[in-house]
Amino acid sequence: MGIRLLGLGARTALLLVFAIFFIAPVLWLILAPTKSDNALITSSPFSFGSFHNVAQAWKHLDAYSDHLYRRWIANTLIYSLSATAITLAISIPAGYGLALGKFWGRRLILTVTLVVMIMPAAALVLPIFLELNALHLIGSVFSVILPFSFFPFGIYLAYIYYATAIPSELLDAARVDGCGEWLTFRRVALPLAKPIVALVFFFSFVANWNNFFLPYVVLADSNQYPITVGLSNLLASTPSFNPAVGGGGQSVKIFKPELALATLLAVIPVAIVFLVSQRALVRGTLGGAVKQ
Amino acid sequence: MKVEQRWLMLASVVAVAATTAALVAAATGGANSGKASGSITVWVDAVRLPVAKLYVKTHPRVKVNVVTYDGDGNGATTMQTKIQLWNRTGKGWPDVVFSEQANDPVWMSQPPFDFALNLKGVFPASLLTGWPAPSLAQCTVNGRLVCLQDNLAQEVLYVNKKLMGQFGYTVPKTWQEWAALGAKVAKEHPGYIIGNIGESFSHWLYLWPDRCPISQVVAPKTVRINSANVQCTRMAQLLDPLIKSGVVPPESVFTPSFAQKYGGDTDKILLMPGPTWYAKDIFGGTLKVPAGEMTAAMPLRWNNEAPTTGQVGGGPWIVSKHSKNVAAAIDFVKFATTSLAVKSKPGALSPGFPSYGPAATVWLKNLNKDPYFAAPPGAAMKAAAALVWKGWSMVTYPDQPVWSTAVVTQLVAGKSLSDQLPALGEGLSNNAKAAGYKVVNK
Amino acid sequence: MSSSAATSEHVEATRTRGLHVPRGLPFVLPYLPFLIVFGIAPTIYALELAFTNVDGSWAGFDNFTRTYDDFRFIPAFKHILVYTVVWLGALMVFVVGLALLLHGRANRVSATYRFLFYIPGALAGAAAVVIWLFMLDPTVSPGAFLLRDLLGANIFAQSIAPGNLPYIFAMIAFWTGAGGWIVVMYGALNTIPPDLEEAARIDGAGPFTIAFRLKLPLIRKWIAYMLILSFALGTQLFVEPEIVQHASFGLVSDTWSTNQLAYQLAFRYADFNGAAAIAVDLLMIGLLGAVVIVTRSGLFRAED
Repeated sequence: MGIRLLGLGARTALLLVFAIFFIAPVLWLILAPTKSDNALITSSPFSFGSFHNVAQAWKHLDAYSDHLYRRWIANTLIYSLSATAITLAISIPAGYGLALGKFWGRRLILTVTLVVMIMPAAALVLPIFLELNALHLIGSVFSVILPFSFFPFGIYLAYIYYATAIPSELLDAARVDGCGEWLTFRRVALPLAKPIVALVFFFSFVANWNNFFLPYVVLADSNQYPITVGLSNLLASTPSFNPAVGGGGQSVKIFKPELALATLLAVIPVAIVFLVSQRALVRGTLGGAVKQ
Repeated sequence: MKVEQRWLMLASVVAVAATTAALVAAATGGANSGKASGSITVWVDAVRLPVAKLYVKTHPRVKVNVVTYDGDGNGATTMQTKIQLWNRTGKGWPDVVFSEQANDPVWMSQPPFDFALNLKGVFPASLLTGWPAPSLAQCTVNGRLVCLQDNLAQEVLYVNKKLMGQFGYTVPKTWQEWAALGAKVAKEHPGYIIGNIGESFSHWLYLWPDRCPISQVVAPKTVRINSANVQCTRMAQLLDPLIKSGVVPPESVFTPSFAQKYGGDTDKILLMPGPTWYAKDIFGGTLKVPAGEMTAAMPLRWNNEAPTTGQVGGGPWIVSKHSKNVAAAIDFVKFATTSLAVKSKPGALSPGFPSYGPAATVWLKNLNKDPYFAAPPGAAMKAAAALVWKGWSMVTYPDQPVWSTAVVTQLVAGKSLSDQLPALGEGLSNNAKAAGYKVVNK
Repeated sequence: MSSSAATSEHVEATRTRGLHVPRGLPFVLPYLPFLIVFGIAPTIYALELAFTNVDGSWAGFDNFTRTYDDFRFIPAFKHILVYTVVWLGALMVFVVGLALLLHGRANRVSATYRFLFYIPGALAGAAAVVIWLFMLDPTVSPGAFLLRDLLGANIFAQSIAPGNLPYIFAMIAFWTGAGGWIVVMYGALNTIPPDLEEAARIDGAGPFTIAFRLKLPLIRKWIAYMLILSFALGTQLFVEPEIVQHASFGLVSDTWSTNQLAYQLAFRYADFNGAAAIAVDLLMIGLLGAVVIVTRSGLFRAED
């Protein structure tokens, strides 16, 4: 009994330590914009400052380069949602077709998809850049949206889902009723698609939102940056973090609270998607086989 | 002739004359007048942003797209990657670029980048004479004037007059006196500092003045890098005990911990070698040293040798070869570098000592009048401008990252500068070779 | 409700009417252009670039030897090696360990913990790095005492001393990625029939034995999957060192990781061939790692 309690205590302690490790920085981030730049250094990291400071921080952040921050958020929403829409439109049917279809090259496509998934970004982004250049797409938003739409992980998820989630009775019933392929898809695959749509939407949206390397390479105009590249641009362009050899720049009022606020606001949309999809995630990952 | 007819004749003559004059003026280069129009794209760093904004406000006829970027600060290679991108796609080049890296124009004007416009013949020659010859020389690559320096960044010795007087110290004139003072300070007033060596450009503050040959172009595409040269080793030996005792810490003035430890109310900066643009913005702004304490003195020299000093930046303005609106681009650069609306007062619009002579005179006058300083710092700055050692050449690769990663990180870990000189030389050689230079020792 | 005869005729009719379209293919067709343009073509192009010169002539292995001789090549690969080993190790030990710890506990408590572990996952990429820039700065970090005691760091520059970097980046990657994998592992553990656990317990097995001798082997496939994907991701490290490089005033080199080196080669030196050679190096390493993990764990064996 004593040993069991000890074990239990150790277990709780370990879990708590990790919980603190994961959460403390997030908590700090939420509280940081409420303090002034000086207060961040002098007062306790988890103290609450004031809402006034948050308003001030937002004012400074928004004033940076003519509301550039808003453009970045808007860009990221446009890129992520458009690309995810395209991804869903191609991945769900493709997953279905790969799982339940019978055609030459099915295995090949699956293997190639898997191989492409594990290729390092450097290998693909640079040739993709040259391709996009040849297609005269550099400079347009499609240089970001189209590559984002290619999401092999989504294909694989849909494939696994449809391979395991469709009861054969449903399929047989549809076939017996004489449904052609498209009707079968509509009657059988689509109604069951909700979990996999949620899953692919989640992964695709989050991946697009957080993607840094591709936009960093193909976008030259800071007005087109998504928020990830924007954050690094903000960091590099503000004297507080990258002091200019040339001095001053104090008129650009981006200090620690502003940067913290910029980071916090940048994660809110994806955090919302995160929380909303959490249920679908835990269920959906294993094709509905999870027992609660 | 009737009266009306006479008036009509007079009016038409005046009209023709005016039109002709206007046409002549337009034909002889609209860059000379504030009549620039059209649209341009300008890339600036955060510090030059107020200047760009002022131009936009005062020149409503020109549509300016202002883009802020990191300015290639601390040896970043942002512009290189961007220009490659634009060259490959055949479009997107900005019309004007400001860079914090003095050596950027060197590679910008050579293949494969081929970005910089030759300003000779395009920029008003009458204004060009306002730049000091060394400044123009720094911007001249292969006989072409590929940039214009925004400010002169010569190194001086900043002095906290109040504290020095309080402790009864005299302002050192030589590096030896400075080092001796440092030893004294370590014993009598531990915690106080006489300089710092943690910047990405600290080698420009300590090795450049002593004529250490680690960036000396001796022939086309040939650079001399010899960190074992006595001019380097003797300065390192002078600095080692000072770094060890903490009077010259390997920290950067731009870190919040520095301001906490030595600035503001703690007020522990006795002396500091630094460039002209430290004057008000770093001491007053970043470090919040109280008013009435700081001033500038002549840069230190080695014993009785002829004085030479270093330089930290100077900010070149570059105009793009591909610009479709050169007139407006030139007008912008002219405004940024010579206009008194920008350059007259030390402050957000002009933190550094203007390169353009006539503007510098006004700037110095206002700097000397500024109540922040304990004594006018302008004289030392003006004199130091002529002392920058010319043997430190601008090359196509940045040397700041090598200093930062090979030396500063090790100084922070407690090693000595003398021990790191070989690594510094090797790192610079590697970078030079990767950039296509031949490296020699002599 | 048609009669069966009519139905089978109808079914036959759909099969033989007009062009015989292979079952399922039309659904996959929209995906194919994307796969080709953004998956296959770039891969082939990267291979082509790696083996040719700027003017298109055959270069053999020149690009590989040339990049290997670059003074930044070995350090970058060393950094990535240490980083990947530390990260994969942390994933294997802590993710699996935490999942095992959470499994079998009271469900609401377990769910709360899983949720808490999961939250940083929303902050991947640039946002996570910015947070950790603050966490690693002793002047603002709530963990300042840890920085001082564990890393001996009193200033930011000491926190990011070169020797610490692989561990710091691995920690950031772990911080953002672990939560998601813990959820997956937990779900995988849930697929284990409870009777097995019961039987083992009746046989007298203690919690450790059940965890390591029973549960662990049964989720082997999932662990392998996690390792393969993480290994590939690990070699792609770019945004963390790139941002820390900006924020540290250059104290961290802009070619610290292999991906950064490839980027600099491509865009600073216009050496796309060299960059492609490095990319192919990374691909080979990724594939090798995948093969090793797959064969050692039997991932593809009896895949249903």
